[in-house]
Amino acid sequence: MAIAVLTVVLLSSMQSMAQRTVSGTVTDASGEALIGVNILEQGTDKGTITDFDGNYEISVSEGATLVFSYTGYTSQEVVVGAQSQINVILQAGAVLEEVVVTGYGTQRSKEVTGSIASVKAEDFNKGNVNDVAQLLQGKVGGLVISRPGANPNGGFNIRLRGISTVGASTEPLVVIDGVLGGDLNSIEPQDIASIDVLKDGSAAAIYGTRGASGVILVTTKRGSAGVSKVDYSGQVSLDVVNRTPDVLTADEYRAFGGGTDLGGSIDWFDELTQTGVSNTHNLSMSGGTSSTTYRLSGNYRSIKGVARTTGFDRLNFRANVTQKALNDRLTITANLTTSSRDASLGFDEAFRYATIFNPTTPFVRDASNPAFARWDGYYQQVLFDYYNPVAIIEQNTRQERVKSYAGNIRGDFKLTDELSVALFYSSQRSNNEFGQYWSKYSFLTGENARGLATKRNQEFEDQLFRTEINFNKDFSSGLNLSALAGYEYQDFLYQDFFAQGGTFLTDAFSYHNLSGAADFNNGLGSVNSNKVTSKLISFFGRVNLNFNDKFFLTGSLRRDGSSRFGADNKWGLFPAVSAGVDLTEVTSINGFDQLKVRAGYGVTGQNVADSYLSIQRFGPTGNFYYNGAFTPSYGPISNPNPNLKWETKSDINVGVDFAMLDYKLTGSLEYYQSKTNDGVFLFNVPVPPNLFGQTYYNVAELENSGIEMALNYLVDLGDNKSWNISFSGSRWFSPTLVSLTDAEAGVSLGGFRDGANLGSPGQNGTPLVRLEEGKPLGQLWGLVIDENKQINEDGTWNFVDVDGNGVQDDISDRAVIGNGFPKYNLGINNTFNFGKLDLNIFFRSVLGHDLINTFRAFYEAPNVISAYNVLATSADIKNLTDQPQFSSRHVERADFLTLDNLTLGYTFDSASLPGGFSNLRVYFTGQNLFVLTGYSGVSPEPRLTDTGSDFGSLAPGIDRRNTYFSSRVFTFGLNVGF
Amino acid sequence: MEKFKISLKMLILALGFSAVAPSCTDLDEELFSQVSADNFFQTEEELVSALGAAYTSLYGFAGNGTVWGIQEVSSDEVVVPTRGPDWGDGGHWVRLHQQNWTAEDPLVNGGWSFLFGGVSATNRLIYQFELLNNPLTEPFIGELKALRAIYYLWLLDLYGNVPIVTSFADADPNPATNSRLEVYNFVESELTSALNSVTDAVDGSTYGRVNKNVVNTALARLYLNAEVYTGSAQWSKAAAAADAVINSGNYALESDYFANFNVDNSGSGENIWVIPYDEVFAGGFNLVMMTLSYLNQQSYNLAAQPWNGFCTVEEFYNSYEDTDLRKGQPNTEDGPSAVRGNFLVGPQWDVTGRVRLVDDGTTASGIDPDGPPFTLRAYINELFPTAWREAGARISKYEFQIGGRQNMNNDYPLFRYADVLLMKAEALWRQNPGSAEALALVNQIRARAGVDPFTELTADNLLAERGREMFAEAIRRTDLIRFGVFTDAWWAKDVQPECKELMPIPKNQTDSNPNLVQNECY
Repeated sequence: MAIAVLTVVLLSSMQSMAQRTVSGTVTDASGEALIGVNILEQGTDKGTITDFDGNYEISVSEGATLVFSYTGYTSQEVVVGAQSQINVILQAGAVLEEVVVTGYGTQRSKEVTGSIASVKAEDFNKGNVNDVAQLLQGKVGGLVISRPGANPNGGFNIRLRGISTVGASTEPLVVIDGVLGGDLNSIEPQDIASIDVLKDGSAAAIYGTRGASGVILVTTKRGSAGVSKVDYSGQVSLDVVNRTPDVLTADEYRAFGGGTDLGGSIDWFDELTQTGVSNTHNLSMSGGTSSTTYRLSGNYRSIKGVARTTGFDRLNFRANVTQKALNDRLTITANLTTSSRDASLGFDEAFRYATIFNPTTPFVRDASNPAFARWDGYYQQVLFDYYNPVAIIEQNTRQERVKSYAGNIRGDFKLTDELSVALFYSSQRSNNEFGQYWSKYSFLTGENARGLATKRNQEFEDQLFRTEINFNKDFSSGLNLSALAGYEYQDFLYQDFFAQGGTFLTDAFSYHNLSGAADFNNGLGSVNSNKVTSKLISFFGRVNLNFNDKFFLTGSLRRDGSSRFGADNKWGLFPAVSAGVDLTEVTSINGFDQLKVRAGYGVTGQNVADSYLSIQRFGPTGNFYYNGAFTPSYGPISNPNPNLKWETKSDINVGVDFAMLDYKLTGSLEYYQSKTNDGVFLFNVPVPPNLFGQTYYNVAELENSGIEMALNYLVDLGDNKSWNISFSGSRWFSPTLVSLTDAEAGVSLGGFRDGANLGSPGQNGTPLVRLEEGKPLGQLWGLVIDENKQINEDGTWNFVDVDGNGVQDDISDRAVIGNGFPKYNLGINNTFNFGKLDLNIFFRSVLGHDLINTFRAFYEAPNVISAYNVLATSADIKNLTDQPQFSSRHVERADFLTLDNLTLGYTFDSASLPGGFSNLRVYFTGQNLFVLTGYSGVSPEPRLTDTGSDFGSLAPGIDRRNTYFSSRVFTFGLNVGF
Repeated sequence: MEKFKISLKMLILALGFSAVAPSCTDLDEELFSQVSADNFFQTEEELVSALGAAYTSLYGFAGNGTVWGIQEVSSDEVVVPTRGPDWGDGGHWVRLHQQNWTAEDPLVNGGWSFLFGGVSATNRLIYQFELLNNPLTEPFIGELKALRAIYYLWLLDLYGNVPIVTSFADADPNPATNSRLEVYNFVESELTSALNSVTDAVDGSTYGRVNKNVVNTALARLYLNAEVYTGSAQWSKAAAAADAVINSGNYALESDYFANFNVDNSGSGENIWVIPYDEVFAGGFNLVMMTLSYLNQQSYNLAAQPWNGFCTVEEFYNSYEDTDLRKGQPNTEDGPSAVRGNFLVGPQWDVTGRVRLVDDGTTASGIDPDGPPFTLRAYINELFPTAWREAGARISKYEFQIGGRQNMNNDYPLFRYADVLLMKAEALWRQNPGSAEALALVNQIRARAGVDPFTELTADNLLAERGREMFAEAIRRTDLIRFGVFTDAWWAKDVQPECKELMPIPKNQTDSNPNLVQNECY
């Protein structure tokens, strides 16, 4: 279909009419030439752009209207009369006219009364960016995006305005071109035109139960009428290892004493890593006529990580088509995307073992050595939790194949100039196939299982149907009213299939022939399948009022129903209201071009994480011995809570937006405060009467607040030179757990709960986090080392007697020893334009968070060297004879400042290009070029979620031993337009 | 106006479309991979499958986190030393051995959760089966009540003062604590009435299930410890309950002690009640992992690397005479011992018995003083922080299967005939220290072990003999308490106040149920 449309468009653009040539210069108010201003003959597909001196030349039809548009400036229309020379002066200020995407609609920037941050494609992070989240890192106040280490397959954690739930999703809702619940991972960053972030409740409440953690709205690029373009962009990146744990080298190990000198010298990190060479190719074509526009793109990425055997190949296609009909009263928009990704996930386990594997090991592998034939020649000693890291990654396979497609179609029909209706349907499916094989010769897992294959297939599917009615009217009084009403239905399906079996005769099959696993014959293989569905149904409406661009008012209401709740609690109501006034329009304030004060209040909700929690379910619960044979046993599988209901969050947001110095300085400042009620939490309950020890209840009460600021200043350096500096910053005040007690329901946290176990070896039963009523979330918890004297004369740890009872005790002397939530999140961007040369320098900083360096907690005590290599910091505590024990010694402040992105680009003069080329730009980007931090671990990025325990996002700040190494990335790229 | 009419029609059409949209406001949940009670428990097979939940609840017994762990590690038999970086685990294993446990310690909560999980499962099934009123499930009700009483017997022993909950549908959401005496009376009356409702069959249909002999053995245990539980001794009732088992004629001592503990021990004529563990169907018994060293994986060609944890207190190991068949013979430099015993000590060998295992990663002093050759020794240098890796005799009473996995195939004896004989002996001796019958019963056990008969019974030698015979069968703590020596000092452990004879009510439980009353001492 897309190809047919394309053909039609190309044919129509070849038609010719009576033509004449118009030329001129475009400047700003101060007379400076503007480069790259878009000039389009209205109603046609003909256009051009201004050159370096602001000059343009275009051939137009008689009586044509030219539209001059330029980012940051107000567009102008000029009717071509008899003149052949048209000089245009564009006025700054378009920033207020910029279109901001809101839920189920758009608004002009100046009308916005909620808290919405809009980031356009030109402001995205550049370089080797494979994940949409990375485009925004550091760009939006209050939005923390974090991926510790440089794992190309590792997702980013996204937290908007801290955390306001204890049990539900903490990740913002993603809406891609109107489809709720899109997957950021499957969308091609180069296809994105803009990303808008709905931050406060008043903006997000239109998304009701899914807006409590914020909403990220992604709008993809589409074609424009009259501009036929073919663009190619390609880049090559080098990923170079930046930081690894600091362990003893072979010589240091020998000098340290206490370990076993095996005679060799191996740097295990070197053995595990590589320079990751990645390349990306993107081809797009777009264009259109006044009735049809299209954009097609294809993208290929081949990405290699710094750890050997990690990386992925991805192929994406996207087609966006818009067609008008019935005298432009009907607009049909269709989007179709496919994505396929083949990833080699590698083995994060290897990082831990590279840290502790003996550096004096004589060889990595000697295939001819009979003493190691058992492990196919890989060097190995039999110790607890000790595995040759190179053997892990070379002998074993862990792969993932993801295929997804999404399609949607929307019809908008104008009933009258004021009233229109829309229908929207979308379908998304993705299939995730995971395969893993542990070799028979792999000391880790494989040898024990005699070869172990796993295959898992997961399928995610949802469909969404929506109707909308839109009303928009300008009244003679100067009032503009726009209103929206809608109904939305979305259902979700998840199913999986899992099979795992061992005992293979040969490694030859990898995970591709499970019938080779004898485990399935002897009853030890495991097979499982599962299917879960859920539904969300909503009614929503919104009214926007604009009084003469002076006063603005927005109100919205959404009623959401979810299948996941108890029969009497399925529906929830989520209202919001916000208002703003531009003081420059109502009073005379000197020095401001805009000074808008706004305030909003909104209620958003959170669904529970799983289906079926409200009903009593029975399932297989093992086998029991009945009349001489094992018989399946069936029983309940969880405690139901038939009263489960929505978790709600209400918040207020006050802010001010301003523009000064002829719009050269713009910015905003805001404060928010939110309160969560009926938060869902898994409580301990008495058994009996309950069947199981834990049940979900709506009990949690949380408070959260913060401040955000954004500034942008355009410095005109004259002579075609400019410097744009922008700053975004936020302060998160620690979210507070007000209460986790409900006397009526009879459930209580009992004051606190400790969790996030440190783990084996030797430190099970060691909680790292305390969840405590009346205290901030994110409290790190543990013994307190005496900073003045960490080690006693007898070689034992010197912990502080916190409770002052005269006895140092491992339990009662624990205290709060840090907090894993960051306090400040800052980004400073500098863009220099020197004619053809442009330079972008982006610094990012996160401050105020602590990290538990678990590498140190396990592998720093000198006596560990009897079994494992130790960290270089062991030298500081040489006289310790005690076993490793977690304490405040291992909690580090992890403030950092990074030169996140430096891009130097050169744009060739279009006149100098060979015929047929419209633009050419080459650039170089360096990412993560340096990091200033006091943190001794691999990456000081905040850990927003704990992967090592069920505390999850309630246990930020734990740097577990599987952290992927961090990297520096150097990218060379070019963009060509035809 | 004409134009507007069309528009209105279209608007109605649009709204109409939304009204007929699929299941517009239907939010019922549909189950695919589980079932609801509405459409299950209909057929005979499905009803039988429901009974299973009561017995699968037992599988947690012999893991390292519940009753077995508390009964053994809190006693003078078994210890989990902190071996350098291994098994420190926040100190809770050391606290368990030193009887310094807190209400937050994992096994304190593990034991409670395991036992009350069983109580809750039986309560639910009793409720369901009573509602069903089906002739097939009718006989299950008595059996379930007996099983529930046995869960309460363990609760009575470990925690003493616990809530008695027997209803399911209308139970108090926060049940209140009952006194230990009330719990005792409850267990006694439930077990006594169960004698009339459970089967006295002893065959494949009762293997792993509660029959009359199981109930009588439970009564013997209850009465034998009645003085501890209530202050009033019930020695003659204990003897009578033991007699009921003996007189059933269903059991006899195996000539080989280890026939009761071998991988295939289902034919034991001595085991009265077992948990029929199975590596495929009924996992949960993993002593092989808990006790063996990493290197011993090669000794038995195991499918998993063991964890080098649980071992025997040296004094206890030494309480066996060297000729005691139960002790077995240590390995030597010539090869593995040909005589299996309760303990694995001495030089360690691979599965062929010809290759000496070498611990080449740990030549450092302090962890493994004799260097690479791997030799398990009964001597434990210290409880913490740096017990040698090779320290402590390992618990090999339950045969390690060549090619075995984490989950063992050995059926675990909860109640055993030798125990019944010893209980009867003790009950008689308590009433008459010169009882010849008592002496004869104990000497019957000693004779099988290949050691000389006692000439008289004393508290010391009776307790010691029970220890040697019942080693690693999760009864030592109870025995030590009954003989009044549980809180005494022993290796790496100081004298403790007598109130440590009861475990604390776990913090997790007092947090979730305000009506629980914490035990004295905590």
